[in-house]
Amino acid sequence: MAKGDRAALLQGTLDLLILKALSAGELHGLGVSRRVEQITGGTFQVQPGSLFPALHRLEEAGWLTSAWRSSENNRRAKYYALTRTGRHQLGHETSEWNRIALAIARALET
Amino acid sequence: MPIFRTLRNLARNLLLRGRVRREIDEELRGALAALEAEHRAAGLSDADARRAAAVAFGPIDAIKDRVGDARTGASLETLARDTRFALRLLRRSPVFAAFAIASLALGIGATAAIFFLFDAVVLRKLPVPDPDGLVVASIGRAGAAAGTNNYSLPYPQFEAIAARSRLLEGVFAVNPMGRVNVAADGGQPESADGLFVSGDYYRTLRLAPAAGRFLTPDDDRAGRPVAVLNHAYWQRRFGGRTDAIGAAVTLDQVPFTIVGVEPEGFFGTEVGRPYDVAIPLRASESLSEEQPMWNRSSATWISVMGRLAPGASLTAAEQETQAIFAQAGLVASRSAADQQFAREITWRLEPGARGNRSGLRQNYARWLLLLLMLLGAVLLLASLNVATLLAARTDARRREIATRLALGAGRGRVVRQLVTEALVLALAAGAIAFVIAVAGSRALVAIAVPSAERMPVQLVPDARLFAFTFAAAIAAYLVFGLVPALRATRGGSLLVTRQVGGSPGHRRLDRTLVASQVALSLVLLVAAGLFLRTLEKLWAQNPGYQRTNVLMFSIEPHLAGRRGDEVPQTYRRVLDAARGVPAVERVTLSAVRPVSENYYFVTSFRELGAITLPVEQRVRVAFNHVAPGYFATLGVPVIAGRDFDDRDSREAPKVAIVSERMARHFSGNPIGQRLGAGPGAREVVGVVGDVRYASVKDQPREVVYMPIFQMAPREIFYSPTVEIRSAGPAAAVLASVRDAVTRADPAITLFDVKTLETQTDESFARERLLALIAGYAGAFAVLLAGIGLYGLASYSVLRRTPEIGLRMALGATPSAVRNLIVRESAVTIGAGAAAGLCAAFLAVRLLRSQLFGIEPTDPVALGGAVAVLLAIAAAAACIPAVRAARIDPLDALRLDA
Repeated sequence: MAKGDRAALLQGTLDLLILKALSAGELHGLGVSRRVEQITGGTFQVQPGSLFPALHRLEEAGWLTSAWRSSENNRRAKYYALTRTGRHQLGHETSEWNRIALAIARALET
Repeated sequence: MPIFRTLRNLARNLLLRGRVRREIDEELRGALAALEAEHRAAGLSDADARRAAAVAFGPIDAIKDRVGDARTGASLETLARDTRFALRLLRRSPVFAAFAIASLALGIGATAAIFFLFDAVVLRKLPVPDPDGLVVASIGRAGAAAGTNNYSLPYPQFEAIAARSRLLEGVFAVNPMGRVNVAADGGQPESADGLFVSGDYYRTLRLAPAAGRFLTPDDDRAGRPVAVLNHAYWQRRFGGRTDAIGAAVTLDQVPFTIVGVEPEGFFGTEVGRPYDVAIPLRASESLSEEQPMWNRSSATWISVMGRLAPGASLTAAEQETQAIFAQAGLVASRSAADQQFAREITWRLEPGARGNRSGLRQNYARWLLLLLMLLGAVLLLASLNVATLLAARTDARRREIATRLALGAGRGRVVRQLVTEALVLALAAGAIAFVIAVAGSRALVAIAVPSAERMPVQLVPDARLFAFTFAAAIAAYLVFGLVPALRATRGGSLLVTRQVGGSPGHRRLDRTLVASQVALSLVLLVAAGLFLRTLEKLWAQNPGYQRTNVLMFSIEPHLAGRRGDEVPQTYRRVLDAARGVPAVERVTLSAVRPVSENYYFVTSFRELGAITLPVEQRVRVAFNHVAPGYFATLGVPVIAGRDFDDRDSREAPKVAIVSERMARHFSGNPIGQRLGAGPGAREVVGVVGDVRYASVKDQPREVVYMPIFQMAPREIFYSPTVEIRSAGPAAAVLASVRDAVTRADPAITLFDVKTLETQTDESFARERLLALIAGYAGAFAVLLAGIGLYGLASYSVLRRTPEIGLRMALGATPSAVRNLIVRESAVTIGAGAAAGLCAAFLAVRLLRSQLFGIEPTDPVALGGAVAVLLAIAAAAACIPAVRAARIDPLDALRLDA
């Protein structure tokens, strides 16, 4: 996939990927971006310009909580974790995504 | 998102703004530093690591903005920031800010002032609970057009409907009392306006008294001498004291008791006819000479309104009450005329939320609408002007805007900033306009109704005026705010930085804006010219009498408690007293005052000497009751026969004098012929010159004069006017005349004291106000257009300075340069003026009904308007041109380098 295509990430997709990345445990901002890249096998590279606004938006929506911690190399960093509603939202968005993906796949097969 | 979370986020983001921002900053810088550290760990040098991290991360400040924008309340915060920025910018260019705000405020304020009047006179509902339930009653011939209804009704049918209607929960009648002398605590009487109201007046209107109690049906039935005060009058005359309730007063020397006060803000049921004191309709018996026409089923004299019962429709209520009206009319008939009335006349109901038919509304609605349109045009013009100014300003800021776009600010963000700046201007202008509207509307009423002792309409600033003012401000802002903002950000950022002069498209837009200002101001100047010419024509009109050195005042012996024969005796006493004053040449008395629309008496005659005309050809005449010396006093020529004199008493044969136009209806010389038949017949003893009867705008018509001292007391139902011709200026004799009258009869007061010239002037009040407002609009418009032209030409000189320098260096003369710039403006002016003339030809048709003695295409008005416009425009265009001609070619070329 070309780099330009990666930037054209749907907003809903970005939210879903962030929630998924955090489902395994808390991460700081860059950590989220790495994890998304890792779990999508390098298909999606989330730029800081999209990542940080999304993290703050999800936090205000109540799906993430954040706390300041020391990172692995002794820097203060803001760590994000899923809340209960966040986990619930992940489940909801996952099934929604599967439904859409299935429908589109079917549509493309015909 | 649950609402409490939104609120919590909002509170946090707004109240702890600094902390939230610091945390975002720290988070992003931390992430950037971590990225940099990773690159260093991968073996890059410090500088390379920093550069690589920065490239991978992206512009940190832009990201910070985007994070901030993602948070709740971001738009509020942006608005606050934009507003602060806008205020700072406006403070930095105070001349621009002051001009933009002032021109908008004047445009909006003047429009809102007229709207305020229009609202009070035409639109607003009565200040009573549920005004929509009210209905107005009228009568008319079956099948006649709706506009011909008569809003005066007979009493017996009203009484029957009030007693029997089920679909109207209340019905009431009112009848204006006119001037009444009110004396309290045995003090000096002061005159006030009275209203007779039937018993259900207050209940039907659903009013609650501010103090005491209201009149009841019982008060009315018994004709009890009780009175209710209007709130404003209670404040003015009794200082709002509660001990006024129960106080004894006299109305025209008849004792009454004050029982209550109406609620504040209530002015009655007819817009433009406020009153001070209300008394029961039946109590009028104690105040008038004659028995009121309680039983006359074809005499129309009361105004009737009602309120629909819950659930009743207007149509159903009309059918029900029409049936009662027809039946009651037949039952109450006592004469052939009554029966004919009952057969031919039907009763009608119409919605009454805005009160009963109002003379003020009839007279002024169209006129106010016209003013509203005139000033709306000025407002549009002011908006266009500010649009041009803002556009020029935005051009000057292109570098700043281009830089901001290049640095990553979104186009929406920049537009929002520019729009906020315009909004700040609009709101500031709106706030000032509100004040102008309140003060301006009062001033306008004072000019339109010069002799009124108080405001004929209520002008208390309210939410509607507020809404109108700010709606106008927002509308104006939409015109001037968005255009420059959108245009400034069009085209990419890089493109813009290179263009300083503005693209040709932008200049075309500027030219169009300025040309439309020129066009609009020409239309307004034409309107102003037409109204000025109308005023001039009115003054030049020969009314048939001589206007100078005539003093007039009215007297009313009834106010002093005089009745019957005492009334003409009082007249004689006043006339004799005035005659004794030095410098007074002639004194007379008449029912109808020249150029006053208070009274207009008409009748018709079939019998003129030997001729008897069929009914349909009868001669309709206006008539007047006058004392001897009337024609000499007013300078009306007596063409044949004689004036009235002391011989023409009640006992002497009845005589009349006719106007020239009336004389032509007789065969041969009218002198000695009889006018009319039966006991009312009169012998014509004189012919006098034609006059314009009640207004300078009247066409000369047939007039019949009768001697006032031949009238029976019951025929005198008016307050007559004393006219005095003096040797010098009329105003000079006033004090001595007043003294002489007071000495002769201390109970008589002089009212409506005016010279004939002042009265004439006041009768032109509407025309004068139109001329004034159109003049204001035109002057304002042409000034704005001039400023627009000046700005455009100056800008053009600035833009073309290098080119001009080059031309001069190559040998162009200063006058050639001057022509170059002037030609550019001339095209704009010419296009605008041509468009304006076309628009004016179309627009002046709307003005036709307000003009007098001239055509809407009056060449003097049109020529004058064009001349004024061209003079101002030429001045505005020439100043920059002269400046261009003084450009030093060397400086100009250096500027280009």
